[in-house]
Amino acid sequence: MAVISEFFGHARLRPRKRLLGRLGTGATALVLPVAILTLWWVASDRGWLPQQILPAPAYVYEMARDMIASGEILYHTGVSLRRVIIGFAIGAALGLSLGIAMGLSEVVEDYAKPLFLAFAQIPTLGWIPLLMLLVGIDETLKIIIIAKGAFVPMAMNTFTGIRNVSPRYIEVGHALRFSRWQQLRLIILPAAIPSIFTGIRYGLTHSWTSLVGVELLASSEGLGYLLVWGRQMFWLDTVIIAMIAIGIVGFVMDKGLNSTEHLIQRWKKGEA
Amino acid sequence: MTKVPHIQIENVTRKFQVSGGSLVALDNVTLDIAEGEFVTIVGASGCGKSTLLRLGAGLDTNHEGSVIHAGVPVDGPSLDRGMVFQEPRLFPWLTVERNIALGLENSGLPKSEKKQLVAQHLELVGLTAFAKAYPHQLSGGMAQRAGIARGLVNRPDVLFLDEPFGALDAITKTRLQDELQEIWAKERITMVLVTHDVDEAVYLGDRVVIMSPRPGRIREIVEVNLPRPRVRTAATLLQVRNRVLNSLNETTGAIDRERPAAVFEESATVSKQPITAFA
Repeated sequence: MAVISEFFGHARLRPRKRLLGRLGTGATALVLPVAILTLWWVASDRGWLPQQILPAPAYVYEMARDMIASGEILYHTGVSLRRVIIGFAIGAALGLSLGIAMGLSEVVEDYAKPLFLAFAQIPTLGWIPLLMLLVGIDETLKIIIIAKGAFVPMAMNTFTGIRNVSPRYIEVGHALRFSRWQQLRLIILPAAIPSIFTGIRYGLTHSWTSLVGVELLASSEGLGYLLVWGRQMFWLDTVIIAMIAIGIVGFVMDKGLNSTEHLIQRWKKGEA
Repeated sequence: MTKVPHIQIENVTRKFQVSGGSLVALDNVTLDIAEGEFVTIVGASGCGKSTLLRLGAGLDTNHEGSVIHAGVPVDGPSLDRGMVFQEPRLFPWLTVERNIALGLENSGLPKSEKKQLVAQHLELVGLTAFAKAYPHQLSGGMAQRAGIARGLVNRPDVLFLDEPFGALDAITKTRLQDELQEIWAKERITMVLVTHDVDEAVYLGDRVVIMSPRPGRIREIVEVNLPRPRVRTAATLLQVRNRVLNSLNETTGAIDRERPAAVFEESATVSKQPITAFA
């Protein structure tokens, strides 16, 4: 066993240096997508699946060009983005406030945390039936569902971040006669920033997933709607294009968040 | 040495609630510290030396007896009392400069004056070139220098230091001890330094307070009547050191008679440089 693992250990390490060392990390990221595309192309070319279920890449590409040119894709993406941004902003702001309140005050924690934890256990989509009856199936429903998706991870991570601030730091503030506001502004919040960013990240991902979920159920526009519509009409090219659009938007958002995080936490630079 | 008592600690007792009763960390401790004096406190772990320091600095006020600083009872931290911790406790998200400036956050001084004070104290601890560096870019010794600068930047009239050099290597430690002594001579402020290193205590202190554990009490106060700058290897200094060491060994011996191995270990860590090394 030891010999085998040693062998694999080497096998894993050496090609990594030779193959990936020459190509940049950008190029390595393209290896898998290209492989999948090739598989897709081969599968449709050989007719492994009927054309209606798996359209040829070339056909989807044509279709995508048409949909971009007509502004259809841009329109649906815009609708979805707007919902995510509004919903996320509301949910994240509420989550941040609750997280800070629970983190700073044990009284608030005692009152709010049990209910919050129970609330967090219910999947976002589980709220849809009840909310549909309460607020209808309009924009409000979508915003609430998206906000809920961002709210839970945001509150949880902010809370944990604040609770994990070292008491040693707090004591320094005490020795320097910091007021409560100074403690919060100069010590607690900066120390909790990495954790808060984790919350923003998860929050955004959850918002995005909830959006597609709620659009699948109740919408006449947006990328989620495009998915359902395409499936019902058996336009699998539309489905694939919508999926790719969702993937790209999510990817870009995550990248943007990443650079913001690096910018804010410049002091971490150079830390191994 | 007829100076006014600057810090008066009188009949101070501090108990901690632990599971199944209360632990007496300090038992009826009385200590007067003169203005501009350098007092060092040594003792085995658990003798309450850090507790005593925290009471003096006002970080802990839950005690019996009285702690008075410049005629005023200590009822909390004050900007007139600086504090330096063992781990420098710099904030990793702020530059060295900003870390030191935090000490002036509540000073009420105008911005220009704050800036000048920070620059002055960076200079004092020799970190001017590292003003814009982040703490993770500093060595342990440099980080502790920044910690000392933060403690001093408000121009307190007493500085409390809680094992400030405990985590540093021997060479850095020696250098920082000298630097601290120079700062003390230059700034003319009272310094109270807690340490477990007898050499450090004797080298730096005008008086060495020896504490005994369980409950924490002052066992003896040894005067170090030697001119400065002192020579670490001088026979006179080593005499005082041996006296302090003997006294310290007796405190642990009296308590831990049933555990001689532990006593040996404790005193071994205390005397890092055996006398024979200088012979």
